[in-house]
Amino acid sequence: MTDKPVPEIRGMNRVFFEGCAQGELRLRRCLDCDARFRFAHEWCPSCWSQELGWEKACGLGKVSHYSVVHVGQSDAFETPYVLALIELDEGVRMMSNVRCDPADVRIGLPVRVTFEKRGDVSLPMFVPTEGGTWTRQ
Amino acid sequence: MAPGRYPDLSTEDLFRRVLRGAFSAWPIKPQDVDGLLTHPSGTIAAYDIYFHERLVSELGIRPSFVETLNLGGATYPAMINRAANAIRAGQANAVLCIGAGKFTKLGAGGGEMMARAISDPSLEVPYGTWIPALYGLLASEYIAEHAVSAEDMARVAVSERKWALLNPHARMHRAGAIRIEDVVSSRMVASPFHYLDCSVPSDGGGAVLVTRAELGRKWARQPAYVLGYGEAHLRGRVSDPGRLTDTGARVSGAEAFRQAGMTPKEIDVAQLYDAFSITPLLLLENLGFCEPGAAARFVQSGAIDPGGRLPVNTYGGLLSFGHTGDASGMSLVTAGAFQVMGCAGPNQVDRAERVLIHGYGGIMFDHATVILGREA
Repeated sequence: MTDKPVPEIRGMNRVFFEGCAQGELRLRRCLDCDARFRFAHEWCPSCWSQELGWEKACGLGKVSHYSVVHVGQSDAFETPYVLALIELDEGVRMMSNVRCDPADVRIGLPVRVTFEKRGDVSLPMFVPTEGGTWTRQ
Repeated sequence: MAPGRYPDLSTEDLFRRVLRGAFSAWPIKPQDVDGLLTHPSGTIAAYDIYFHERLVSELGIRPSFVETLNLGGATYPAMINRAANAIRAGQANAVLCIGAGKFTKLGAGGGEMMARAISDPSLEVPYGTWIPALYGLLASEYIAEHAVSAEDMARVAVSERKWALLNPHARMHRAGAIRIEDVVSSRMVASPFHYLDCSVPSDGGGAVLVTRAELGRKWARQPAYVLGYGEAHLRGRVSDPGRLTDTGARVSGAEAFRQAGMTPKEIDVAQLYDAFSITPLLLLENLGFCEPGAAARFVQSGAIDPGGRLPVNTYGGLLSFGHTGDASGMSLVTAGAFQVMGCAGPNQVDRAERVLIHGYGGIMFDHATVILGREA
């Protein structure tokens, strides 16, 4: 039995995961061109400005892509699980899992962020904004 | 070389086996080769990016042009281009292009290793990414837009099996024909892919020799001429913004057709990288063979089968010939070149004047299209 991968906190992801620990989903914003993007860039991918700020996302979005995974990355993952891309209301796309009955997932499904403790890290996860009674960890 | 599972052979051994095959098939000596392009040896766990040095030594060649390069499944069409450019620039006359690889096994941490090679360690890997699931994300966009069914994807796998039954080197040569029902009733791996929608994990490799035209005419009864090439890299992570189904194939294909002075209608055979059954559908559209949303009907009509209007993956493809890990894209190139050169054996199609080969790497990140023809 292996463990699920835990993100290593280093460099540019530190502020993001500090936010997660406080229940905040943080996005980067370019102070020059106002583009919003994930923490994966040390500069703005639209204009290469290095003048960047952070802002708190509202935590709401929609499923834009998904796959119901029956054979997992490793046996640490209980199957089936939902791998998804979430289009946040701020217009930023991120990968996550949707915690719901896999039969209920669809493109356009409204979701909200929640946080799962994995090792010492709080990891953003998503649940349907309505009708979610899914409790499996 | 024929793909298989060779647990006793390292990737370096596979390279050597490919080379021994090339020495038997090609009428050339060490002094004839003055260029070398190779994929790194090793596996995802540890690549040797100095592998060209090892090959220069083992081959006893003294080239004026070498490179170890990796663009995933786009590596091998890209090698054709790099070699042709070096020849055009006067840097080499005959460039040996080679790749060999082993498909990493999922168990024993292989899934996570694959995930780390292709997805972001803190933004993607923790969510259980691995290759079928990442392609599943891309497929969900295509299916939602075009109402493509599981049966439509399955039809691609059915067609490629038909080609593999003709090809004695294909992994699935003796596995028998499959029907759409067989594919959609095989176990689910990651939606929308059933087991038979996925390529066959294999070990193997191949080589091609790219030369000046006059040397090609000297060494081959019918050489394959490079008529056009295009390349595009539009994203590097599956969670990058933008439509996943608007792939770089649109750009690379358009450029290859422009250089060749051709339209998709003039292509006789297409070899389209097919890690999963959905990608030939998407590529048929992105490369301009079908209108957006029309590939499923095209494939269901039998158009890509033996005897069809546009034979696709005429050797069995990754789905039934085998996916040879880092060497996978080479099988498309050699199968395409064999068609043009008229030496595809039982898989030879009647009309193969002009063949398009498309490889992509990552989750359709790196794209390379090459068009080969019987006449320069």
